[in-house]
Amino acid sequence: MLSLYLRLISISLRSQMQYRLSFLLDALGSTFASLVEFVTLAAALTRFGSVGGWRLGEVAFLYGLVEMAFGTMDMVFSGFDPGYFSQQIRRGTFDQFLLRPASLVLQMFGSEFILRRLGRMAQGAAVFALSLWVLNLPWTPGKLIYLPVVFVSTVAFFGGLFVVGAATCFWTVEASEAINIFTYGGSTMLSYPMHIYADWMRRFFIFVVPGALLVYYPALFFLGKPDPLGLPPFMPFLAPLAGFGVLAAAFAFWQIGVRKYTSTGT
Amino acid sequence: MQPIISVVNLHKEFRVFRHHRGALGALRNLLTRESRVVKAVDGLTFSIRRGELVGYLGPNGAGKSTTLKILTGILVPTSGEVRVNGRVPWRERKAHVARIGAVFGQRNILWWDLPVIESLDLLREIYKVPAATYRRNLDHFREVLALDDFLHTPVRSLSLGQSMRANLAGALLHDPDLVFLDEPTIGLDVVAKERIRQFIRHINRERGATVILTTHDLSDVEKLCERVMMIDHGHLLFDGQLEALRQRFGGERELVVDFAEDYPDVSVEEARIVERDGLRVTYRFTRGAVTASTLIGRLSARYRLLDLSVREPEIEDTVRRIYEERLLEKPGGNAGNEGTVGT
Amino acid sequence: MRPHEAQSVRGGEAASADWPAYAALARMAFQRQLAYRFANVSGLLTNGFFGLLRAYVLIALFGARHAGRVAGYSIGDAITYTGLTQALIAYIALWGWWDLMRSIRTGEVASDLSRPLDFFWYWCAQDFGRAAAQMLVRGLPIMAAYALVFRITLPPTPLHWLALLVTLALALFLSFCWRFIVSLSAFWMQDAVGIGRMAWIVVTFLSGFLMPVAFLPDWMQALMRYTFFPAMINTVVEVYLGLLDGPALLGALAAQLLWAVILYALARLVLAAGVRKLVIQGG
Repeated sequence: MLSLYLRLISISLRSQMQYRLSFLLDALGSTFASLVEFVTLAAALTRFGSVGGWRLGEVAFLYGLVEMAFGTMDMVFSGFDPGYFSQQIRRGTFDQFLLRPASLVLQMFGSEFILRRLGRMAQGAAVFALSLWVLNLPWTPGKLIYLPVVFVSTVAFFGGLFVVGAATCFWTVEASEAINIFTYGGSTMLSYPMHIYADWMRRFFIFVVPGALLVYYPALFFLGKPDPLGLPPFMPFLAPLAGFGVLAAAFAFWQIGVRKYTSTGT
Repeated sequence: MQPIISVVNLHKEFRVFRHHRGALGALRNLLTRESRVVKAVDGLTFSIRRGELVGYLGPNGAGKSTTLKILTGILVPTSGEVRVNGRVPWRERKAHVARIGAVFGQRNILWWDLPVIESLDLLREIYKVPAATYRRNLDHFREVLALDDFLHTPVRSLSLGQSMRANLAGALLHDPDLVFLDEPTIGLDVVAKERIRQFIRHINRERGATVILTTHDLSDVEKLCERVMMIDHGHLLFDGQLEALRQRFGGERELVVDFAEDYPDVSVEEARIVERDGLRVTYRFTRGAVTASTLIGRLSARYRLLDLSVREPEIEDTVRRIYEERLLEKPGGNAGNEGTVGT
Repeated sequence: MRPHEAQSVRGGEAASADWPAYAALARMAFQRQLAYRFANVSGLLTNGFFGLLRAYVLIALFGARHAGRVAGYSIGDAITYTGLTQALIAYIALWGWWDLMRSIRTGEVASDLSRPLDFFWYWCAQDFGRAAAQMLVRGLPIMAAYALVFRITLPPTPLHWLALLVTLALALFLSFCWRFIVSLSAFWMQDAVGIGRMAWIVVTFLSGFLMPVAFLPDWMQALMRYTFFPAMINTVVEVYLGLLDGPALLGALAAQLLWAVILYALARLVLAAGVRKLVIQGG
């Protein structure tokens, strides 16, 4: 299974590497694009001092974590990118996956691995590293173990959103653009501390699409900040449940989508 | 012996929604659900034995691709029984597709950016082809399909003919006992077409693969298939030998005569002249109304003949007649199954 | 393509007899943009959502200062700023415009150049048509939504409304010149798309789109104001919010106009060079 996956993504990687200069420019471009946003925020913070009570280092922690996770997801789940998958459906090339004696999900993961998105991940890592340098946090073994757990769970969460977006293409190809609000909008929103948003937005991202459980609450834990919303103290530790729960639900929805596709065709 | 494909009373209905356009239309799409039911396949029954080479004909929209999609397992029917290699295709997808090969028209089964040989190697891994089998098949196809010229070329750079040959090799690498070919000669020149046909004949005769061939090119059918299934509006109109089709519906035959002299009037009863080119005259006569030998007798009694030949009608014309004149209408009961299924 | 065939580049002035043609082109582009109904709606929703996020971030930045002003901006101004800049995204094609670059890459540009219309104005007319449509379906609805949800600022006097129209036109023209010049890089470079993407990011960064220029550190402001980028967005914002009055207002508009003239001249130069290259080397 793994070897087949690696072989499949190597195809995607090789065809990207064929255009080396374009690739470099694209990777730089995506790094630059994300960095520009953060730099502007940092510049504004020199005048304002804090955002919702969070100083630059703390915001950088949250922002960097989200960007790292989203950038990683963007690469690994490239095959499920709704923008890309909707084209596959439109052209009918998804049928080819059905005709091969290999797992559909494996083929989906293997169909694309867009390396230039590494730029966003790298930028996130840089911002996150900056935050660690500025903040001087007290690290415990528990925190050190939990941090990568949070990271992987967040990748799973965003991946789940992509999978849902791809699955909706089985019903309507045009909706894939609307999904962007959740994926890109969601990641932008989660980059800032949740308590700055309106009540309904906060509630939605805690109880409906539990993004806040993946980065904001764990961040409160790492940064040693109290919860301004007064929710139970175990909230920061629900990240793996939320992240993998969303991913599992997304794959269940995907299966429904595949069943729909095979019963009604294109 | 169990047939390799068994289809009983297959039905496939699609619900077609009226699609409203525009932003406001999208809202309407959500609220109202005007729909109608389209029967793509309406009570299809047939079976195919191992080793047959069957032509599957029908106009566009007749239900051919729907049937193929059901048989290959990528579409689930509304009702009916289907067994391929003893399995229900859509229920055991992976096991089913591991034993079949399928090439659909101009769609690729290979990877666009990869050299052909690498695509084939990747397919080997996906289909879990044993190394010895792979070697054997590869060498064989390289020879029979002349792949060496472009074995290391990426698929995107191949011509249509080369790409079809490469795809055929890929589809047969794992020794499937059942092969679906949808429009394999479309867009190819005469030489390339012939090459593909020879290959199809070869895999059927020498390698014993059962082949289902859908095509619009009736010369493919004439040259390859003994058995023909005709479908229209989801019904099976005809299922039998090609010759039977021709016999029953090939209404007109041609008699081509080379006269010894330039006779002014060479008309003959029960036949009409369709072409006159110097000393060569082409007559057309209705099968069943008069025999070729009667005509020849009449002509040779009146004139001196140098040479003659009898031409059968083009299957093209036969099929066109069938569609246009609705010669095989479903009489409201069962489909007009004609001829013996597998003589 | 022979030199005399590139007639649309010689002279370069839009002959008064050609105005109907340019108007027709603009109208055609306007209608074409309106036809992308689903893209328009989903784009609108996306822009609106991000505007909402940005508004909350600014509110959070203001924090306790929400009663007063920061760098001349009240909290209402700041919120309006987010709506206004989101409304401008589609209008000035902030995140890219590929039509001209595509035309150069496919070689279609040769037929564009042999039309009896000036090449620059040919594309400019179409861009104005597109922009008008975008303002209609993506710009105004966002401002309307903002007016419903927040208490937004409006231009204070009729003079400011007039100035707004002027500044919007100049900002669009400036943006067009920049996109035009960047697109022409496709004449020389294979990877023009990568250059293009960088170019649009530069605009995002330096135009005052992400944060009001006034909120940034002084040294950043100084650097930005040496470029023409703030004239694409920040000037519009300041005129709209009524942050400029009398001589300052005239000065800002004059600066915009000056930048427009400079970029126009630059566009002409680059176009001439590009055409020369095309004619000599065949593209």
